[in-house]
Amino acid sequence: MTPITENDVRRFLLDHFSATIAANGLSPMDLGGDFDLLATGVVDSLGVIEMISAVEQHFKITVDFEPMDPAELTMLGKFSCFVAKNAVDSRLSP
Amino acid sequence: MAAEKQLLSSRMKETQKKSLTHGFLRSVEAFGNRPALEVEDEVLTYVELFERAACLAATLVQYPSADGPPLTAVFASRSATAFAGILGVLLRGHGYVPLNRKFPPERTRTMLLRSGCRAVIVDSASERQMDQVLEGIDSGILVVLPERQATGDLAARWPQHRFIGAAALASPEQWGPVEVSLDSIADLLFTSGSTGVPKGVMVAHRNVRHYLDFITENYSISPEDRFSQTFDMTFDLSVADMFVAWERGACVCCPSEKILINPGRFINDARLTIWFSVPSTAVFMKRLGALKAGAYPGLRVSMFCGEALPVEMAKAWSEAAPNSILENLYGPTELTIACTHYRWDALRSLSESAYGIVPIGEPFPGMVPLVVDESLNEVRPGEDGELLMTGPQLSPGYWLDPVRTEAAFVKPPGRNEVYYRTGDRVRKPVDRGPLLFLGRNDNQIKILGHRVELGEVEAVVREEFGVDGVVALGWPRTVGGAGGVEVFLQAEGPARPNLKQRVAERLPSYMAPRRYHYLPRLPLNANGKYDRDALIKHLEALP
Repeated sequence: MTPITENDVRRFLLDHFSATIAANGLSPMDLGGDFDLLATGVVDSLGVIEMISAVEQHFKITVDFEPMDPAELTMLGKFSCFVAKNAVDSRLSP
Repeated sequence: MAAEKQLLSSRMKETQKKSLTHGFLRSVEAFGNRPALEVEDEVLTYVELFERAACLAATLVQYPSADGPPLTAVFASRSATAFAGILGVLLRGHGYVPLNRKFPPERTRTMLLRSGCRAVIVDSASERQMDQVLEGIDSGILVVLPERQATGDLAARWPQHRFIGAAALASPEQWGPVEVSLDSIADLLFTSGSTGVPKGVMVAHRNVRHYLDFITENYSISPEDRFSQTFDMTFDLSVADMFVAWERGACVCCPSEKILINPGRFINDARLTIWFSVPSTAVFMKRLGALKAGAYPGLRVSMFCGEALPVEMAKAWSEAAPNSILENLYGPTELTIACTHYRWDALRSLSESAYGIVPIGEPFPGMVPLVVDESLNEVRPGEDGELLMTGPQLSPGYWLDPVRTEAAFVKPPGRNEVYYRTGDRVRKPVDRGPLLFLGRNDNQIKILGHRVELGEVEAVVREEFGVDGVVALGWPRTVGGAGGVEVFLQAEGPARPNLKQRVAERLPSYMAPRRYHYLPRLPLNANGKYDRDALIKHLEALP
């Protein structure tokens, strides 16, 4: 598996949520690493589950989120960085 | 005359006794200074919440509409205004229609128009969408904004509507009790409709009353209890948290979305005793490592509803909440919140479960299940069939939609009662065993507990893309339903830019397709219908 970078995850999320982001009147260009997907209404608390499953499905990875502070799950930069660092090829895990 | 008056008064007492607000009003008298609601860092006692609700109720009475149904919308979430608004609408004698700012404003407008509401109560966070929602509505609407002082700018922009801010609200003393028929609508909840238009399920006071009476007794709810409120008001399970708690003087603890991202912390910080959520929330907590053994000793009742409950989750939850009973509830909105229940038991339940799913158990007292074959004749014990159900929680049907009501609310051959066709496949128990949920009969799926008619997604995609051949699928498949929606189009690609965005503007985010796949021809099965199984295989084979 080619390693996934923080930027890959961020790009995927921006594409995944592009319609919602646009519908909220935001442009993906404006979104920095501290952009909070929850505070801006792009996802809600249940939507985070959907977001995680979409990322894992897309990159064919599993990620153990246990060490992560839940408050940071919806921060675009923090989430992308965490996933890039902790991704495990899902074909290798049981 | 005097006898007539006495009769009327006793009848009024009788109806009030059973209307949705009866328990709340009794708790206002009995537990006035106890907390009724915690929301947005604010604690409201029963008296305080009543006064806010009575202000809104009296205001609504002051500005009656000449026409329109006895319904009022509440466009507010996770705020004091949301709860006071719902109570205010009910105290005014109307049914409430919850609206949700998480939904696209276009969908909210459709719900507002379809319900025919002539008044709406709005909180400050939802107010930002008000201009988009009002766009194109010509008939005058009363917009009550209890969190806003001046309303002049809105009135200038929308001369056809009337805006009432905090300063113009009536006082609580101006409210007086209104007689409510038990058959009148308590709430109108919109749910996904397969033809592309959401359908409104009418829930009568009588329906909710039956649910409340059973649950408050079954779980011995007391004023010491503290309830979670994980559901949005547009999700019918939210009715349970509020009104079960208020029936017995307990407190509803409503977390913000931000707090709800860490449900485990919320349980302990808010000192909850009663938990109610979709199983997906528990799955999420497990992923975050928040279901460690003994983590939530304060919980005494945990209820899950809205989608299939995996056995693994039930096990993990009962270990994390060792002092709590765990119940799996089941029920479509048309049967009011939930109508069957199953008590998880570490010893017995493993053998009673099938396919890794906890049984949905037995019907609430008074609810009558019927498991039928395709001709609606009852199947034999141990056989599979569609679950039909009747009883006091049976909804009167779909709002202004006799065609769809007639199709779903039926009299099976040889029966005199009307049953609701759930579309859910279950196994008829042998002897006194629990009902087992097996799946759906049609193209409805569950995403995070939300009902999604794939036909609705298909209808919206078909319209926006101008393509006839459209199939929506739930994908990836999960134990509880699906992770999201993906669509196949018989087309080379999108004809115009921004079409996906248009679709996302019309559907709630959990319904908006994650991926679009374009095929020159969609596969057909032997019956000439689109072959969904072949398309699933296509998704499985994707790199």
